[in-house]
Amino acid sequence: MIRWSAVKAFIVKELLEVFRSKEIMFWMIAWPILWVLLSAYIFVPPSIEQPMTLDIGVINHDIGSQAPMNGTYFIEILNTTEYKGVKLFRIKVYKNETKMIEDIRKGRLDGGFIIPKKFGENVTMGQTKLKVYIGARDVQSAQITNAILRGFVEGMNKMISLIKIKETLKYIPKNVREFVRSWSLGIAMPINATFVEVKPKVLMSRATIIGWFTIGALGMSMLYSGLSIGSLMVVEEKDRGTLKRLLASPMTSTEMLVGKTLAGLISLAVMSLLVIVAGHVMCGAKIIWNPTRLEHWLVPLLLIVVALFTIGLGSLLSLITRSVRGASALSTILGLMLSFLAGVWFPKWMMPTWIQAFADFFPATWAIDAIREIMVYELEMKEVMFKVAGSIVATVVVYGLGVVAYKHLLRKYAEA
Amino acid sequence: MKYVLKVENVVKKFGDKVAVNNVSFSVKRGEVYSLLGPNGAGKTTLMSMIAGIIEPTEGKIEVLGGDPRESSIRAKIGYCPQEPVVYDNLTGLENLMFYAGLYGLSGREAKRKCNELLEFVGLGEYGKKPVRTYSGGMMKRLNFAIAIIGDPELLMLDEPTTGMDPRARRSVWELIEKLRKEGKTIILATHYMEEADVLSDRVAIMDLGRKVAEGTPEELKKEYGPRAVVNIELVKLKPEAIESIKRYASEGRVMVEENLLRVHVEDPDEVTPMIISELIKHGCRLNALRVSRPTLEDVFLKLTGRRLIE
Repeated sequence: MIRWSAVKAFIVKELLEVFRSKEIMFWMIAWPILWVLLSAYIFVPPSIEQPMTLDIGVINHDIGSQAPMNGTYFIEILNTTEYKGVKLFRIKVYKNETKMIEDIRKGRLDGGFIIPKKFGENVTMGQTKLKVYIGARDVQSAQITNAILRGFVEGMNKMISLIKIKETLKYIPKNVREFVRSWSLGIAMPINATFVEVKPKVLMSRATIIGWFTIGALGMSMLYSGLSIGSLMVVEEKDRGTLKRLLASPMTSTEMLVGKTLAGLISLAVMSLLVIVAGHVMCGAKIIWNPTRLEHWLVPLLLIVVALFTIGLGSLLSLITRSVRGASALSTILGLMLSFLAGVWFPKWMMPTWIQAFADFFPATWAIDAIREIMVYELEMKEVMFKVAGSIVATVVVYGLGVVAYKHLLRKYAEA
Repeated sequence: MKYVLKVENVVKKFGDKVAVNNVSFSVKRGEVYSLLGPNGAGKTTLMSMIAGIIEPTEGKIEVLGGDPRESSIRAKIGYCPQEPVVYDNLTGLENLMFYAGLYGLSGREAKRKCNELLEFVGLGEYGKKPVRTYSGGMMKRLNFAIAIIGDPELLMLDEPTTGMDPRARRSVWELIEKLRKEGKTIILATHYMEEADVLSDRVAIMDLGRKVAEGTPEELKKEYGPRAVVNIELVKLKPEAIESIKRYASEGRVMVEENLLRVHVEDPDEVTPMIISELIKHGCRLNALRVSRPTLEDVFLKLTGRRLIE
């Protein structure tokens, strides 16, 4: 039978030690909050949702043209084009083509236009040439600049075609006007495509991305903290010289295990709460917990599952460590490594295929993913049940093996 | 129950190494029983088995009529190991409260008991200070308080004064005396012969895992120790006086070195006044007198051919 006074004694002792240790406080509280802040302001900066503005050079050889769409008007369009309220181009007018190309090469410009002589006249009467330079500050910016400038020219082409068709139709007899209009539109734009952006729900806004990373940071610290709690359970008492005294007391090994595990769960719960609050309040993460929805009550259960899983895994780790130093170092390294490799803190789709396969079979990832799906994606009970059930079964197995390792170590160190 | 502890033919092996070799003894209620021996004699291993921490390889240990590996029996044993068993970041009171919880005490009752014990071991005003600020002596006293938190019937003290200065050692001895007066049964493992001599009712001398002798300190000294020597420094020695005091000497052993007489005697308390009287009668004038009695150190030397602390 378990005596509550002994269990409570362990809980109080462990919590006092945890909350009085600056080192543990740093790793359990400060470090994950730091990760959330870093994620929010470096990986997902506030500017991420704003369109970018390109630096574009222009040389206009079509000065003084009286045509409606002349070089000066083209520059004005460039200057005023906006996307989601942000100007798409910052224009610098050059007189010398060599100078402009030099600036593109040196990365001072993203691209450039050379408007030829008679540009306006040729646009109005037929077809004009336009030379477009695309800069390459890096591979990604070259692709972006290319796409934006091509898109702009395409848009201009489309707009001019429509104006031309409209003007032409004025001179077409009414009885064939509709036919000519359709025919002309077919020549100008045979495919009138509509582009609709569909993003995964979680990536729709900065808030949801930060929500993803907040749960990731929580999972990461759960991993190394839980591993540490499990791996230090016996060896810490042995290194301090208190283990034999504990074994000489009426305490049973089960009371010590339950007391230490519950103390670990309480510290991890406090840490989880602080990380979630920091992500939500300090970084604006979208994290929803609605007590009226049944699936949201799975979140505390899943947090307990992750904590027990990592504590059990830590206990197994303690079989190969012999000192507090070794156990702490191994837990931290393994915890951080798993955070990246198991897709807990880093999106697994960004990893090589073999690592993705590993992440798919790591039970802590199932539980962390399920927490994300409930709190960030707002999925329903039936959509997460498989992951929840899987992580519970895995935790029962791993924690059970951890208990066997714990009892084995107690016997081993008592005899030492 | 007459006997609190019975150790019968206990053997403990770690691999090929025999740490405790066929040891038997019994301890009566209210007795202070010492295990005296040098480091490596097997005292701590024996204590660990009596405390229920480890199992004997062979033999049987019975504490208060039960097996010490049972939680209910361990609840009646207080164990004070050599090393501090405290948590540095906790205060003295918090450490005691923790152990009180393990012994089933909680709430106000536990707090009252802990404060009482802190006073008992002289740490009353340091109870709320972190243990990391304590001196070695204070740690030992806290260890002591932890050992008696469960109000044990059998108290086991493993080298309770090792590393202490004489004053701190004396204060621990006083604590042990207080507990003896309360009627506690105490097992004391020590390598200090003076400690065993002063505190024990009975002593078991241990060496290389074996019990080599057992008895009261006086019995052991009488049986295995050398004779006592009465050393008398004289201003003036008269030869006829030497002959007259030989009848008081054990086997007539009287040694003379200039003005120093060394008389080997059976019972110095009884014969010393007679020797002095005889010398004065023969016109000798005394300058100094010193009586050398046998110690447990001498007993150990006689039994093992080695000293306790080498």
